[in-house]
Amino acid sequence: MNRSDQLLTVNEAKPHNFRRILRNIGYIILCGAGLLYLAPLLWLFDVSFRPMVEIFSVPPPFFQKPIWETFNTYSLTAYIGAIEQQVPLAVFNSTIVAIMGIVVTLLLVSLAAYAFACMRFPGKNVLFVLIIATMMLPNQTMLAPLYHIFRVIGLTDNLAGLVLLYAASAYCFWLMRQYIICIPKSLMESAQIDGANKLKIWWHIIVPLSKPAMAALAILQFRTIWNDFLVPIILMKTDTLYTLPLRIQLIDSFVVNKRYDILMATGFIAALIPLIFFLLFQRQFIEGLSGGIKG
Amino acid sequence: MSTGILAHQMKSREKFHWDKLSSYTPYFFIAPLLILIFIFSFYPFASGAIMSMTNAEAINEGEWVGFANFRELFQTEEFIDSLIHTFWFLIGCFITQIPVAYILAYILNNVTKKLRGVLRASFFVPVLINSVVIALMFRLLSNREVGAINWVLGLVHLPNNMDWINEPTLCIPLMVMAAFWQWTGYHMVYFLAQLQTIDISIYESAKLDGASPIRVLISIVTPMMRPAFIFVLVTSAIGCLMQFEYPFLIFPNGGYGPDRAAETAVCFIYRHGFSQQFRLGFATAASWVLFAITLVFSLIQIRIIGLGEANEE
Repeated sequence: MNRSDQLLTVNEAKPHNFRRILRNIGYIILCGAGLLYLAPLLWLFDVSFRPMVEIFSVPPPFFQKPIWETFNTYSLTAYIGAIEQQVPLAVFNSTIVAIMGIVVTLLLVSLAAYAFACMRFPGKNVLFVLIIATMMLPNQTMLAPLYHIFRVIGLTDNLAGLVLLYAASAYCFWLMRQYIICIPKSLMESAQIDGANKLKIWWHIIVPLSKPAMAALAILQFRTIWNDFLVPIILMKTDTLYTLPLRIQLIDSFVVNKRYDILMATGFIAALIPLIFFLLFQRQFIEGLSGGIKG
Repeated sequence: MSTGILAHQMKSREKFHWDKLSSYTPYFFIAPLLILIFIFSFYPFASGAIMSMTNAEAINEGEWVGFANFRELFQTEEFIDSLIHTFWFLIGCFITQIPVAYILAYILNNVTKKLRGVLRASFFVPVLINSVVIALMFRLLSNREVGAINWVLGLVHLPNNMDWINEPTLCIPLMVMAAFWQWTGYHMVYFLAQLQTIDISIYESAKLDGASPIRVLISIVTPMMRPAFIFVLVTSAIGCLMQFEYPFLIFPNGGYGPDRAAETAVCFIYRHGFSQQFRLGFATAASWVLFAITLVFSLIQIRIIGLGEANEE
């Protein structure tokens, strides 16, 4: 009895162990792949602290010296150069546009989404289809007319113009409506019985309850606004109003004495800020970006 | 419908004695968004329809020229070339990103939760980085003598003397490579989110029936992921058609590659409308052609995300 038990465990244990080893090897390979995938970013981080001569050398400067000596040539020269190139101002401009853009988007989108999700009014379906249809009209396609309308309303070369443009987001509206429609109607009805008007219901019920959706949308909008390049490059003319991507392009456009170290440092600053947000709000990022099909 | 609303209003009046204004409330709520959308989406398209028929230049409104812009457009070899470049870039992105993203998502779906979180984050990170920065990084990485791409190719004993930036045939592969790094994680995260909605019991029962993991992937999971595939294909297609930063910035001095070998459609529009010629009418005509192509994909997108629910109360 005892012996047969032992035999059984041995027989079972063998393939089990083998599979476990195989799986661990797989995990190690996966981790390696994950790290390798980050290599270009680590390279960016590394070269942003190095003098320009080292950027242009193979193998990548990090591997040229043994690990305990590789950090000897690190300096903040490129970052100081970036400050001289008014990068802090560009970061400030980008931040202002991003914050204002997110606030205005959330405000407009949640108001409209509330009306479409919870109210009846004539023309509702037509207006809904109209708004959704603008998802098919990406800003990048009609550049010249977009520039034209901005000139007509006098908002070229104005950060507020960018804010308003980003706020007109049909996609955010649609995601918000999908969320609000799932909020139980009984909550709003009981508030109505207590004498609250629609605006109060919006502020005291819809806004607090849709906070998760708002967080996801804020993150989504932040990424869009922070990284947008084509629309600002058409609208902004004064370089003191340049957002960060425009400033990077401006630094890159110096033909003589191009400072790649400054470019890499600025690039790393531009990448770092969304990265910090991602580490803090990873869940909202994933939800915001993969919210497409799920209602 | 109108009687329904009337009944609704009467009911609320009975209860709350709302003032007359209350029936307009919904319009006040949607007005701000609607006005902005009209200014920044509909009006540009309407005025774009007219502008494409004029010879507007810079601040000059121009005169009506009918379809002359379109006729000129299709006789301009550069424009046809730019569409072809965009097309190859799109195909390159499809065949590199989507299969890899799907397989990665499938693998990540089967590992422990902790490892999945870490790997998902690490593959997602490039999505956060500005295309401008990625373009500049790839300009340096793809340098013939001192770039890391050739160095890595040399390490694995592949031909490592490729002049990515100055060789016309390598321009689009270089852009596809940059796009691969930037967007694969994005698609993977989407696939992964969809894979996790699949009921585990399906795997269990398939396993009981003796199906191998690969068999489960091909015959059971993949057919269920069809909507996710269409979604990823469409979003990725629209993104690729709008590509501007890579050709503009990977290649030095805004040259869109050697002999403009990497110039995409948006670059063509930008060059003719905003950087060299300021021919707004001509650029808008090109915009309409690009828009017509994009529309095919965005119509599918709208269908998937479900416009059909508009009647829902």
